Amino acid sequence: MITDEIGTLSDTVEEAAPVEACTKCTACNTVCPVARSTDIFRGPKFLGPESERYRSQAEAAVTAGLDLCSGCKLCEVTCPSQVTIQEYIRRAQNKGAEERGRTLRDWVLGHTRLLSRFGSMTAPLANFGNRNPLVRLAMEKVIGIHRKRPLPRYQWLTFERWFKRNRSLPLVGRAREGVSRRTVAYFYGCWVNYNERRLGEMVVHILERNGIDVIVPKQQCCGIPAVVNSNIDLARKYGAENVRRLSGLPANVDIIASSTSCGLMLKHDYSHLLEIPGAEPVGARTYDICEYLWMLYEAGELDIAFQPVETRLLYHAPCHLKSHGMGYPATRLLRLIPGVHLDEVDEGCCGISGTFGVKVEKYDLSMKIGSRLFEAVKAAGTDSVLADCETCRLQVEHGTGAKSAHPVEIVARAYGYR
Amino acid sequence: MKADIAVVGSGLAALVATRTLQQAGRNALLIWPGLSSLYFTYATVDVLGYSDLTTTQPVDQPEAGVAKLIEDHPEHPYALAGLDALRSGTALLTEWLRDAGFTWQGSLARNLLLPTAIGTPKPSCLVPASMAAGDLRRTEPIVFCGFHGYEDFVPELAAANLSRSWGGDDQSVRAIRVSLPGFEPGRLFTSIDIARSFEDVAFRREVAGRIRREAAVDGVRIGMPAVLGLTHDMEVYSSFAAEVGHPVFEIPTLPPSVLGLRLFDRLRKHIQESGVEMVWAAPAHAAELSDGQCRRILLKSAGREQPIDARAYVLALEDTVDGALRAGVHEVIDPFFHQALAHHAVPTDRTDESLFKPQPFASVGYRVSNRLQPIGDDGRPLAGNVFVAGGAIAGYDPVGSKSRGGLAIATGYRAAREAMAA
Repeated sequence: MITDEIGTLSDTVEEAAPVEACTKCTACNTVCPVARSTDIFRGPKFLGPESERYRSQAEAAVTAGLDLCSGCKLCEVTCPSQVTIQEYIRRAQNKGAEERGRTLRDWVLGHTRLLSRFGSMTAPLANFGNRNPLVRLAMEKVIGIHRKRPLPRYQWLTFERWFKRNRSLPLVGRAREGVSRRTVAYFYGCWVNYNERRLGEMVVHILERNGIDVIVPKQQCCGIPAVVNSNIDLARKYGAENVRRLSGLPANVDIIASSTSCGLMLKHDYSHLLEIPGAEPVGARTYDICEYLWMLYEAGELDIAFQPVETRLLYHAPCHLKSHGMGYPATRLLRLIPGVHLDEVDEGCCGISGTFGVKVEKYDLSMKIGSRLFEAVKAAGTDSVLADCETCRLQVEHGTGAKSAHPVEIVARAYGYR
Repeated sequence: MKADIAVVGSGLAALVATRTLQQAGRNALLIWPGLSSLYFTYATVDVLGYSDLTTTQPVDQPEAGVAKLIEDHPEHPYALAGLDALRSGTALLTEWLRDAGFTWQGSLARNLLLPTAIGTPKPSCLVPASMAAGDLRRTEPIVFCGFHGYEDFVPELAAANLSRSWGGDDQSVRAIRVSLPGFEPGRLFTSIDIARSFEDVAFRREVAGRIRREAAVDGVRIGMPAVLGLTHDMEVYSSFAAEVGHPVFEIPTLPPSVLGLRLFDRLRKHIQESGVEMVWAAPAHAAELSDGQCRRILLKSAGREQPIDARAYVLALEDTVDGALRAGVHEVIDPFFHQALAHHAVPTDRTDESLFKPQPFASVGYRVSNRLQPIGDDGRPLAGNVFVAGGAIAGYDPVGSKSRGGLAIATGYRAAREAMAA
């Protein structure tokens, strides 16, 4: 009797949904920004759970079409059954790259930290090269980086060195003596370190203004460029290094990230996709900067003596921010500031997805994905477009000519930071 | 995170509840546990299609039908929500649809009778204007038009079925098929892909020409699968119908529902851009209770549990459609109170052997008080500030009675009102 057999089964629902949890509802394909923009992409349902049923460790990976997945994770956000669609795609892509060998571009884009370090050390030269048509043509031919894609400007003075010069006090000691209320460790990420130091300076200023001591532990690339460029082992190596360093922090020190995707790696992907031992407690005390400031506000600890900032802003929520599952804390925060007029735009993915839109064969697709957002931004005509994610900002600026900023820049201005 | 009133869900009930709160000047937080059930359902607003599950006689006047149902069944969710909630909620939704740029037709006074994809007549109350020309009370002959290689809509089947129940001297049904440029045999595609292609002017002009040549005669109307554009309900439809030269009507097909996608995406965007915050990707999985009140609910967010601390909560989960309720082997569990839900049964009792009979699993859900609070076995509310709306209410079959939309509206509106007063 079936019912007798049923009596012996357990009712436990698995934490992470296995591939069998996919009901083939096709919800993921309907929201996939890539599938929306090209009919050569079969979509997350087919490349993720459906193909997964036929993948075996012993057989060579079939990777056709996998590289068109930009890694935005909207499929996972959308899945009513919480299937880890992205993880299936990333693992299969990684296995294929291991079997066939990685391309020069995989290597270069996976090692963005190394590249940025070099770019920062040779900043004037690197910036000149990145804007020189001949150099860009050579880059397109040799590495496959599209010549039209503006590459970020490198800065000679890194955030790390700036911090050492300006904040060398033994802060953890101060926290212990009750001079400051909280201590946070800032995971600034490669972007702030090599490209936008000012953003890091503002984060430090805002936190210190609120009586919070900021420490900057030694850190490695979060690993996301390696994840999306078929190199999970490299990402795991980076991640493990970060987990080791961050695990050593005193228990009362929270970790703050100002980059949406770095934060998501620390919070979620280290313990899930990368299966790094000890990653869970690190993820549990990692906060996005705006999430953290909002938490302070709710606890009555945020200094809300804001100066008015007369400006009209448009907020674009990055895809990876949606994966945080925390709403849009930046919008709540900015509405506390007098003078700020904030509109929100909900046109989905901007198209760049980190290094995806940099690639020669993906550039046009990336601009097509972002076209709805670009139109909305142009129509809105606001002073600036806000996005928590740095590559979203690059893409919006490139696609519209509009100015863009991280939301904390407005908070810093409201605190009188110049 | 603190909130005034938290609405959990992404179906029509959640949207109506959120809009009700927004219009009343309250601060709603919409928590989205996965894609809207509207993607998987018919996405017309059906208020009452059949007065009970045994009759085949469709309801003509839905408002009167609901009034009678309330009189006869005081325990029915419609009775708990009240006829006023249905009226007010419908007015609110109708106005919202207009504000968000939709063109819909219908009213509580009278149902439309529209052919389904398999050619059966189906009563619906509010529908997109792109469906209205299919009303079977009109007499023009119908030509069902399908596409070669697309089997979610089989025009021959629809025509054969409909000609059995409908038709007369002037009423005839016929089937044609045209091929779609770019959709060659062997290509993997869904309705969504076709709908995207229809947004292209040259594509739809070409298809309209092919249909005009196939249909050949004057005075007919063309019934097509609902694939006429993905982002707007009328732009593609109007220009396409003009090119075809006959009245055209859309017929919803299998999931993913193009009509549901249009509806949800636009309403979600509209409510979000008008200032309602949404938390994406965060399934709720526990409620913390004390003194008969829900103090907070916990979401599964990246890295940790995210507490949502609201004054009141609207649980507008859908039923079996959107994955909100988890059916284990022995019971169906709700994600908040971890209680076995009413009308649960072992799997063998959850379904009827016949696919076409009413299914017991359809009525699984929370038992609720007359204020729509979830109640326990003793009949007392599990939490005084929690209100349930939509398909997660126990004891009715939204599919069989064709009342999913109306109940979502009535209970969504009522639950929001109760939450405001709590």
